[in-house]
Amino acid sequence: MRTTRSAGHERLISRRCFLVGASAAAGLASLGLAGCATDRSPDSLVVAVNGTQAAAAAIKQAVGIPFLAKHPKVQLSIMAINGTDWDDYFAKVLTLIAGGLAPDLTTVATEGLQLFASKGIAEPLNDYVMRDKASLQGYFADVHPVLVESMMYQGDLYVLPTDFNCGNMFFDTVLLDKAGASYPADNWTKDDFYNLADKWATTQSAVAWDWVVRLWGSWTSWMYANNANLLTEGRWPGGSWMWDTFYPNDPAAQGRKGGWHWGAPTANDPAVVDALQYMVDLKNARLSASPDVGGGGTLQGLFASNHIAMTIGGGFWAGGLHAAGMTPDQYDVQYFPAWSVQKHLLGDAGYAMLKTSPVKEIAWEFMKSLTEPDALGALIAGNTSTPTRRSMMTASRYAPTGPAHWPVFYGTLDKFPNTTPIPAPPYYQELATAFAARTTQAMAAGSAKPALDGLQGDLESFVSAAAT
Amino acid sequence: MALALPRRHARTAGAKTGTDLHRRRETRFAWLLILPTILGVGLFTAVPIVGSFVLSLFNYSIISPTKWVGLANYSALLHDSNAQHAFVVTIILTVGIAIAQVVVGLALAVAVQRRTGWARSLYRAAFFVPLLVSGASVSIVMSYIFDSQFGVLNYYLGLIGLPQVSWLDSTWGAIFTVMIVVTWQQLGFTFIVFSAALGAVPRELTEAARVDGAGGWRVFRKITLPMISPSILFTVTVGVINQLQLFDQPYVLTHGGPGNATQTVVLDIYEQAFQNLRFGYASAISVILFIVVLVATFLQFRISRRWVFYS
Repeated sequence: MRTTRSAGHERLISRRCFLVGASAAAGLASLGLAGCATDRSPDSLVVAVNGTQAAAAAIKQAVGIPFLAKHPKVQLSIMAINGTDWDDYFAKVLTLIAGGLAPDLTTVATEGLQLFASKGIAEPLNDYVMRDKASLQGYFADVHPVLVESMMYQGDLYVLPTDFNCGNMFFDTVLLDKAGASYPADNWTKDDFYNLADKWATTQSAVAWDWVVRLWGSWTSWMYANNANLLTEGRWPGGSWMWDTFYPNDPAAQGRKGGWHWGAPTANDPAVVDALQYMVDLKNARLSASPDVGGGGTLQGLFASNHIAMTIGGGFWAGGLHAAGMTPDQYDVQYFPAWSVQKHLLGDAGYAMLKTSPVKEIAWEFMKSLTEPDALGALIAGNTSTPTRRSMMTASRYAPTGPAHWPVFYGTLDKFPNTTPIPAPPYYQELATAFAARTTQAMAAGSAKPALDGLQGDLESFVSAAAT
Repeated sequence: MALALPRRHARTAGAKTGTDLHRRRETRFAWLLILPTILGVGLFTAVPIVGSFVLSLFNYSIISPTKWVGLANYSALLHDSNAQHAFVVTIILTVGIAIAQVVVGLALAVAVQRRTGWARSLYRAAFFVPLLVSGASVSIVMSYIFDSQFGVLNYYLGLIGLPQVSWLDSTWGAIFTVMIVVTWQQLGFTFIVFSAALGAVPRELTEAARVDGAGGWRVFRKITLPMISPSILFTVTVGVINQLQLFDQPYVLTHGGPGNATQTVVLDIYEQAFQNLRFGYASAISVILFIVVLVATFLQFRISRRWVFYS
């Protein structure tokens, strides 16, 4: 750059040089911003995935490449979005949508199904499914109907479920042996659980029981076992198109309708209070740790390092514990114990098509390809979740990771027809926040009733706001 | 720097001399130079502030049609005990952290001031380094240290026969722990400011006081403290503004819990906006927080007239 020297020997930049330099910088900045602008080609397909960039790359490799071989014109982009939990993931996806960067497909779990459906974000799949029913017969024949119904809202299907997890009980078998305890029976009860925890506490340094503050895999499992829920359970009418077409002779499909309808709040129902108070009592009896808030990563780490003897977990724990260094013989799983009933909670996930997608046909084709066994195998490689396809539940699949009683995962659906999704109404985001705050309030105060009275008030205000 | 804003000169009536034209050109060029700053501040500070206020008058949830609600969000805030509690929690944390940072930062600065050579540099670096680490990273590590059941701190307390403390799962334990973590992490800022201020206190003043028979504490109270009072005002002002916007540490350590014991205002804004999708309501809380920060800063400067000494 041209410079001059003033009388005071300061090095000066000429005005012209400065203006030229500033203009060049502004031009470069404009070019940079222009490069950031989104300009979708008519054949581009954007898929948002709840996970890491590595997971997205794996999906692109395993599912994307075969798909692109059949659809060479498509430009596929798998977008990894990391969320601390589902509510965090949904918030990020909704922000993308608001910013005009809506993907065509996005991972949606039970937690967000009704939110996406009720707000008109997700596209109902009924017409697509019925149009391609011949090619989908094999898929639905392989998937338990409860997993399909939990992805329905007001009679419409929004997601072809790819994976699921029921709230089962995991054991550290090394600690189990040390305590001289044996693997519990499949019809074990809350009292059996307490006796086992107590036996552990007197013989072990590990904490007998731990859990995490979130809707899935929390004290909510005890609430289900006590035949209670935060919201009144009901069913939306409709859905016969699905059951009549794909499950006409399946006893497990009998009585199924158009998805779960979550009605009036019942958070301070005595049975709900008893369930949370039981957690407080376990903690006071030093049989339980204070739970963390979050997705459960810390809990898995503590369990894998033999600090916890029992906890709630689903099929995804097999992959998590294996990755954390546990061998198949170091842990096991059993159904959740009975209290007033033996009832399990459930969460499943899959991909929803967004209404705003300009490439719905391509998106539908990709969504179908995600339900193929090979694709499912890649999506949940290493047992990071449980496949919705029954045929994929094999001994060879669980041989590297364990647990020994892996049939419990799918068996929960078959053995317990009362298995019910977690209560995730359209106002799930608010519910999740209030649930976490009121649970930790109860644990800190040592009393469940005032906290659940507060939660009842919170939920009533959410229902009232949703109605307006 | 050769380019500078020209002074205004009284113009000779009616005459446009060459010098006058030159000055006008200089003025225009000066405005051109500061234009990027004006645009930057306008675009990234003024517009969001005005935008927040405008948004606070609407019901906006990203996924539903935007609806004009006037002052309804402010009215709702008046009846929202959780939001009001968040303001109380924030004020408690702000006051506690501000006091701790000034007292501990000053004590450390005085202690290090007495050191010489490499020891002084080592201490300065050691106290400043945590400030360079992200609040979220520090909080993740601290959550392992302060965990009631499996934490390192309770483990060592147990080894020496002391009772386990509910650091993160009792109301006051969580508040106290957040204060400790934030104070520890941000102490480097007050420490460095006080170190510089202490170094600028004229030695002849303190030596003269000692010659007159003043003891160490009296010299500190009567000479040093007044001389560094502008730095104290600066750190308190910046600290209060920062702590009123506290987010990272309570979000990672406690998620605002147990219950809403450590739910700060910004955490509440985050939850209302990005979890509950109530962007209009979150904006109303933001506007009130902005006013609180403004009033707190104004009050500090007003009160400072009584105790800050500008030599």
